[in-house]
Amino acid sequence: MKYSLLLIAFLTVASVTADETPSSNITINCENAKTGAACSKPQTQVIDATGLDTVVTDVPKKEDFLAKGAEVRISVIGQGVAPMNTSSPAQAYALAKRAATADAYRLLAEKVKGVRIDGQDLIKNMMVQRSTVRTTVQAMVKNANVVETTFKEGLCEVEMEIVLAHAQFSN
Amino acid sequence: MRSRDGNRLSARSIFKLVLLFYSLALSASEYLISYRYVVQDAILYNETLSVAKSMQKCSGSAHDALLLESDGSDNLKQIISKNEDEFLSFIHTLGLDVKHSEINTNLQNSSTTILTLKTTCFKVDFNDNFARITALN
Repeated sequence: MKYSLLLIAFLTVASVTADETPSSNITINCENAKTGAACSKPQTQVIDATGLDTVVTDVPKKEDFLAKGAEVRISVIGQGVAPMNTSSPAQAYALAKRAATADAYRLLAEKVKGVRIDGQDLIKNMMVQRSTVRTTVQAMVKNANVVETTFKEGLCEVEMEIVLAHAQFSN
Repeated sequence: MRSRDGNRLSARSIFKLVLLFYSLALSASEYLISYRYVVQDAILYNETLSVAKSMQKCSGSAHDALLLESDGSDNLKQIISKNEDEFLSFIHTLGLDVKHSEINTNLQNSSTTILTLKTTCFKVDFNDNFARITALN
């Protein structure tokens, strides 16, 4: 009886140690860890009980950031069209330029701040009745410079750029 | 007829008048300007530039300045309309609020972009040939 109880206790301990999860370690390959740039895709390595390495999950990539003293120049080309009922080519040009400038501002805001996207699909009797995608951008753009303006066949293109410096965001 | 403290009252009223003129003179060259334009489907839809004299003294420090030819005029609206492009590019550098919304329904796209300069106080100094416009922030 005593020996049978000891045998049962030994078997339970053995089964618990066998069920333990295998040890794991995380490896992130980064050429330049200080700047956070050029990091290869990080992987999680799990070494199982048999000793074989298997890749299981991805770790979120370290976010890139603007280094101290560095500048980023963002350039966009906005497009605008003149309305049909203009009284002169000069007016058409002026109006198209305004529209192109607004488009360039929007593109800058999209690049710097990002876009909010909402989508909605209406499906009835297994058919798509209406598919809607809404995008919105809201930002304040300062110190944007017009680089070049061209006007060809009613289409005006405005090239605009903005320089972002580390100092602007350090506060 | 003369009140007992007549001299004192007159001195006080003179002081008040001087103070009033001084305050009016200070706010005379300050203007409130706002600008907004709407672009719909890549076509300019509406553009508004509002210029009004400030009714009270603006607070804030002077930042960017612009020199416009005035030809002796002290009418800011006229000066701006004569140098519209220059003034608008100056406004753009101050910073515009961008609001853009785009909707795509069954592969048909329509967009609206609104650029706004919120009502900003500008100090304007009129000289003989130039008007110096300074943004107060």
